[in-house]
Amino acid sequence: MFIGHLHRYLGNEVECEDVLEDVYADIWENPDHLRNIEDERHLLKTVYLYYMRKRLREVYRRLNRRACLSQDDLQNLMAPDLGLCDLVSQEELKQLLHKMLGKLKARERKAIELWMEGMSNRAIANQLGTTVGAVKMLEFRTILKLREMLKEQYRVSGGED
Amino acid sequence: MSSADREIQELLADYAGALRDGCLPTFLKSLTRDEARRISESRDFWEATEVVRLLNSAGFGEKVVTPDVGLFISRVDAGIASRMKKAHASTRDHSRSHVNLQ
Repeated sequence: MFIGHLHRYLGNEVECEDVLEDVYADIWENPDHLRNIEDERHLLKTVYLYYMRKRLREVYRRLNRRACLSQDDLQNLMAPDLGLCDLVSQEELKQLLHKMLGKLKARERKAIELWMEGMSNRAIANQLGTTVGAVKMLEFRTILKLREMLKEQYRVSGGED
Repeated sequence: MSSADREIQELLADYAGALRDGCLPTFLKSLTRDEARRISESRDFWEATEVVRLLNSAGFGEKVVTPDVGLFISRVDAGIASRMKKAHASTRDHSRSHVNLQ
């Protein structure tokens, strides 16, 4: 569960394993936050906020001395505040996305599904018979549309946290 | 601003690709000053990153597994042992300096 969650932020299995190693050692050193855990979601939230976040922020901190992004932006990119759906299980997430993708136009849905299959933007452009630039714009707009749907979904369900 | 600078939708697509392919450092290093500023000022970009993470997780998160659990546990054990050793050494140093002061 933890390694899958870390993958959301790092996208790299080797880095996920390194971070998780430190997270476990941190938990061993200071397990107090994990007392009175009620359920899996509470466990994930606690581990993310008290143990993972700090380690995630360290991953690219050194690199950023040579990059242009500000330290704050880098931190927000690597270890952001918990978002609307950051604590839903993999199964719930899949169901939610399936539902949201079903509401998109065919071309939008196709672009996102191909991206999720691992295709490059060039390959997606070939499939859709358009340019790479148009695919990037389509993905951007579709992602913002999905974001609005997420917000709406969250409002309807009344927020779970 | 250079004309080669990427627009916000291109930056998001490149961030998404980098996250999916596990090469975020390359994306971060590729940013110019103007692109970094553009990201910083774009609320759309920040909102979209959340969805990108969810898509990434739904598409690929399940496939992430620790290839050798035994090896991983022994690395965690070694890390804990090293921390214990450091903590022990610092306590010893502390008590030594305390004795010297006396």
